[in-house]
Amino acid sequence: MIAMPIPVCKALAFCVTLGLALSAVGPAHAVPSFARQTGVSCEACHTVFPELTHFGRMFKANGYTLTSLPQVRGVSSEGHEERLSLNQIPPLSMMMQLSDTQLSKPLPDSAGHGESQNGTVGFPQQVSIFYAGKIAPNLGIFGQLTYSSAAGRVQIDNTDVRFADVWVMPDERALIYGLSLNNNPTLQDLWNTTPGFGLPYASSASAPSVSFKSQIDGARAQDVAGLTAYAFWNESLYAEVGLYRSAKQGTAGPLDSSTPGGVIAGAAPYWRLAYEYNVGRHSIEAGLYGATFKLYPDLGSGFGKELSGPSDKYADVAQDVQYQYLGDVNIFSFEGTRIHERQALDATFAAGKSDQVDNDLTTIRAFGTYYYRRKIGGSAGIFRTTTSTDTQVFGLNARGDTSGWIAELNFVPWLNTKFSLQYTGYSKYSGLSSNYDGAGRSAKDNNTTYLLAWLAY
Amino acid sequence: MKIHIFSAFVVGLVASLAALAADIEVAGDSAANRVAIGTCAGCHGPHGLSDVPRFPKLAGQPANYISAQLKAFRDHTRKDPDAQSFMWGIAASLDEKQIDAVARYYAAQPPQSHSSSASAEAVRGKTIYEKGIESQQVPACAGCHGLKAEGLADIPRLAGQHSPYFLDQMRSYKGSARSSDLMQPIASRLDARNLEDLAAYVHSR
Repeated sequence: MIAMPIPVCKALAFCVTLGLALSAVGPAHAVPSFARQTGVSCEACHTVFPELTHFGRMFKANGYTLTSLPQVRGVSSEGHEERLSLNQIPPLSMMMQLSDTQLSKPLPDSAGHGESQNGTVGFPQQVSIFYAGKIAPNLGIFGQLTYSSAAGRVQIDNTDVRFADVWVMPDERALIYGLSLNNNPTLQDLWNTTPGFGLPYASSASAPSVSFKSQIDGARAQDVAGLTAYAFWNESLYAEVGLYRSAKQGTAGPLDSSTPGGVIAGAAPYWRLAYEYNVGRHSIEAGLYGATFKLYPDLGSGFGKELSGPSDKYADVAQDVQYQYLGDVNIFSFEGTRIHERQALDATFAAGKSDQVDNDLTTIRAFGTYYYRRKIGGSAGIFRTTTSTDTQVFGLNARGDTSGWIAELNFVPWLNTKFSLQYTGYSKYSGLSSNYDGAGRSAKDNNTTYLLAWLAY
Repeated sequence: MKIHIFSAFVVGLVASLAALAADIEVAGDSAANRVAIGTCAGCHGPHGLSDVPRFPKLAGQPANYISAQLKAFRDHTRKDPDAQSFMWGIAASLDEKQIDAVARYYAAQPPQSHSSSASAEAVRGKTIYEKGIESQQVPACAGCHGLKAEGLADIPRLAGQHSPYFLDQMRSYKGSARSSDLMQPIASRLDARNLEDLAAYVHSR
């Protein structure tokens, strides 16, 4: 047993709670209702769920509307205009994640009474119900409600309402264009390099995770609403712009000084540019994405949180790259991204809650994945977050640096069922390799063995 | 002020796209183009020139043949594995008019010409293709598929087709996943080496 001073316990508990809260609801996933709607097997859209193939990206860009189901139809009295085209069978599906998490060393008890229990069973870790598919001739939805054992309640999860159409250009190339109304910046993206659907696709909700994330890297997931417009030319050049506003859950509007968490001042611009090149069995993508958030900070008790005056500015710019090889027997993919966030904390600094105005945070993730016959495979990759030095912003050790690696073995007996054994090794946590909590805990004590059964049906 | 800018952005965006959609409707893109270019191209490539060996090239295929295959997918009478995984669902979304229009679209696309040097397999395949194998009661493929493997009406074009796709289909005939009174007995009389040779030849055309 480790005896720790209470303040250290509280600080550590805060870091862990923050990390767990951020990971309490996992990313959205592939859903069988799309297979039910299209009549096409999962392997058309996914290498192995949830990673998208080129066809899957096209299905998403086209607004989830491809359907083979009988439709309830309505046409205008002149007979020219389709006023209704609705699946006769609603595109519903479920997802369940069952897990077991074992840490290298138990976490300290959150109330300072020795250690927490090691070996957390998530039964379920998460259950989701999806309505995902076509809702009108050019309108589709990916809607997810999730119960997670960590949250202990049902919450709105990733949601993407999408209008899309195709313009066949005079040279017979396709220009797909559309709108996405969604609640998580990058959720609407087509590639598995961006945070909304990026690797690792599943992780424990009861293990420590990266405490400090950039705004575009999940920090604003399900906390905002954004409208973006996109165009995808010739299935290769993709461009998107949009704006996000705060859309707090569990808070009655209008937002005011009692609203917990950061509130966006005005609207946050989002942008994306990507190019995909497909040749034979190979698909290569490279792109840029970013957003700028001006937030009225939540500085805790004793500080005003008026939604006016100075705000903190977070400017995120990211690069990403993806390579996929889709063989009949062997499938390989690589996804990587680097996100840099420049922080200008005018409001926080003015309140004396940061050491300086300017900070920065950089995250790198890179993963390779291999599957044999879409049945047996695994992923391996690295993650690294580095920050500037600020004792008040980046926790106990003034830096939020966290790095490590993840290796995962997967068995996919059926295309909608995955069993994973994942190991996460930390080389640095909260800025240090050892004694990061001031009570002797090392980064490697957070190494995590995670067993997951992932069922989508 | 910022909220007004946001609202203006939203309204402007929706209005612009609605106007664009209306213009496009007026321009009158054919249903076939929209289906073929917007959906089929995801696997079969732009203009039906797939470069993924699993998915067949459709450019220049006779319209009758494409139409018959789409109906066979829709009726579930063609049962090879990829038909079940991919095409049953896709074809179910097409009505007769769309099937015929898509078939005409691909028939009108210029096929890819190959100039690859003849491998030993392709040379052997050429002999089988043009003369058949008398001892195995295999007739010349050219008799139906044409001397240049260009296909005719209900008979598919083979020239330039991906070898892996060709082999998959011949195995499907052997295993009865694809039914054809003509092709099933022929495929069953060809051994693995014959098929490899033929696949190399038709791909080289």
